[in-house]
Amino acid sequence: MTATHPPRRRFLRTLVAGMLALPLVLGACGGDDSGDDGKTELSFFWWGGEARAELTEKALALYTAKHPDVTFKKTWQANQGYFDKLATLTAGDDAPDIFQIDDNFLAEYATRNVTLDLTSYQTAGTLDTSKFPEGLWKYGVVDGKLAGVAFGENTQGLVFNKSKLDAAKQPLPETGMSWEDFIAWAGKAGAATKLAGTMDPSADYKAFWVWLRQQGKEMYNGNELGFTQADVQAWFELWKGARDAKATPTADVIHEGNATDITKQLVVTNKALTSWVWANQMPELQKNTQDELGLVAYPGDASKQWPRASMYFSVFRGSEHKDIAVDVINFLANDPEAGKLLGTDRGLPSNTEIRAAVAASTDNASMKQTIATIDELSKNYGPSPSVPPRGHSTVRSELIKAAEEAQYGRATPAKAAEQFFAASQAAVSR
Amino acid sequence: MSPVAVTQAPPSPAPPPAGPAATRRRGRPARPKTDGVAGYVFLSPWLLGFAAITAIPMLMSLYLSFTNYDVLSDWSATEWVGLDNYRQMMTEDPSFWHAVRVTITFALVATPLKLAAALGVALLLNRSFRAGGLFRGLFYLPSLLGGSVAVAIVWVSMFNQDGAFNSFLGWFGITGKAWVNDPDYALGTLILLAVWQFGAPMVIFLAGLKQVPAELYEAASVDGAGPVRQFFNVTLPILSPVIFFNLVLETINGFQGFTSAFVLSGGTGGPVDSTLMYTLHLYNKGFTEYQMGYASAMAWVFLLSIGLVTALIFRTGKFWVHYSDGED
Repeated sequence: MTATHPPRRRFLRTLVAGMLALPLVLGACGGDDSGDDGKTELSFFWWGGEARAELTEKALALYTAKHPDVTFKKTWQANQGYFDKLATLTAGDDAPDIFQIDDNFLAEYATRNVTLDLTSYQTAGTLDTSKFPEGLWKYGVVDGKLAGVAFGENTQGLVFNKSKLDAAKQPLPETGMSWEDFIAWAGKAGAATKLAGTMDPSADYKAFWVWLRQQGKEMYNGNELGFTQADVQAWFELWKGARDAKATPTADVIHEGNATDITKQLVVTNKALTSWVWANQMPELQKNTQDELGLVAYPGDASKQWPRASMYFSVFRGSEHKDIAVDVINFLANDPEAGKLLGTDRGLPSNTEIRAAVAASTDNASMKQTIATIDELSKNYGPSPSVPPRGHSTVRSELIKAAEEAQYGRATPAKAAEQFFAASQAAVSR
Repeated sequence: MSPVAVTQAPPSPAPPPAGPAATRRRGRPARPKTDGVAGYVFLSPWLLGFAAITAIPMLMSLYLSFTNYDVLSDWSATEWVGLDNYRQMMTEDPSFWHAVRVTITFALVATPLKLAAALGVALLLNRSFRAGGLFRGLFYLPSLLGGSVAVAIVWVSMFNQDGAFNSFLGWFGITGKAWVNDPDYALGTLILLAVWQFGAPMVIFLAGLKQVPAELYEAASVDGAGPVRQFFNVTLPILSPVIFFNLVLETINGFQGFTSAFVLSGGTGGPVDSTLMYTLHLYNKGFTEYQMGYASAMAWVFLLSIGLVTALIFRTGKFWVHYSDGED
């Protein structure tokens, strides 16, 4: 009798322990129930705030209303940490079917074959970019493949504090001023308003890029740098001159402005009369200050600016519903109703017809000015540069580092240029 | 040491009779082993967690550190590069050595200051007075908020141009600067933040101080030792094991500082890399430059370095840590 007991007890013990452990194991799996019932669920991932989430959800609901078989698993979060999460999902081969991306990362993903090449859809017409400005959709091409659909047009914009300048009876900056004239203006206007005339943009890649193009250079030629060390040095020296002439704030204040956060731009924190931003940030900047703001192009030849895609939608190459995913993007970009819902939240609508409709219906003054400025500039654009290559985000942070070395006076422009050039060359050749 | 005994196999209820068990039936392991299985099954929740969350990822990262794994590419594109990541780190990445310098500076300055502050406040709180518990709680509070992002944000705004700290200086007619934006001072504000969070070692010191036998002080004062003498010749030696414990923990903590530097610099390590802590550089390599193989190599170098430093502290412990032999 006693001989039969211990094994049974052991068996029970094993069973109980196993049951305790079971949920743990099961918790790890599960969840993946894609339908055999003809229904499709697409995962959709973007960054942004509450307002964008609301608009996007409405637009996606509209798609579902028209295609009841397609639903969405929507995920959104703030920009901070977004790309960490996207990278992690991608590493786990679990990237969303459709995801938002920007030009800092597009090449990183496209060259590693994460994004689906949309060229065939474009040729077949299932992805319609015929109403897009040509330079805009081309700004989504990486190595000959259409890696992302530009969602929102944008360009560089110089924002200035109109109220303060008017109060001090100073002339306003104008599109087409030379850099030297602009810096001289900033010195004078600054003295008259007792504010720094301009934020020092030497750490700002987009200002550097526009300036380079005006010198007949490029930030990048394909996967190589399109400038020389001497160019960088000249750029740093230009701004050292501005700092010496007291046209800019001191280095510690400049450092605050070097953050990309909109609320920290010196034009809204009242530490400078102008800030170097993307034109579509104008309405958001206006919300952060009592003063009236104005918008012009960066100094120099404004035709060297280009229609930058403020962001893109890309399709994951491993998606199981590629065709539907492309159709959704096509819908969001080209459907008039969806376009009206989405507005200018992601930049000016890429589809110029929708853009015109949205511009006509908005009653937001700074939005109107933004659209007018970008439209005005876009008439003169030359050819767009290619999307920044892999290593671009490193180049950006190296530029900030080197420019700040010069701003704090820890390095001469020559030394800082040498450091930046070496570091960015290493970054793009990786 | 009774806890150790618990983890050993419990004595089997009935020792197996030698004869029948020895004539082993096919496919059945001997009895003590089956008992072990039940034990492991009960342990399995923890074992699974340990394996899935700690052991396997660590081994993976060790493997990755010898590859050029870049997160986004397909596995097939990942190549074995041998020690290349380690070589690159030592010879080609100036930021690596810069980060090492920043981290060592941070740990070397913050840890002793933090321990001194903890010990000082613990000594003050070690007398019995009204609301003693309240003060203990209040002093402990900052370290509860410790690594949180919120505190770091508050810290940044406090040490900004128009922050509370400069208003305070203003009372004395001193015009402060934007401390967090100045490469000469930014790390200093982080050190201050770390020191401010002295609550955890303080509580441990306090517990240690309560253990110092009162008769030692009596004897010392009979021998004519003043409070200073008593502190150095009675309190410190008796407390030295606790100091040692805190020193090890806080040094490791110091090396691992990340959150505050990340928040202060927006993830960049700025201004001008002055707050580029090792962990921050590692994070940037892995998650903004997608050089995860390199980042993994950095993590292993980090682990070994911390291990080495800890071993070193243990070594020196022989010379200054005093374990009283007679318990109770």
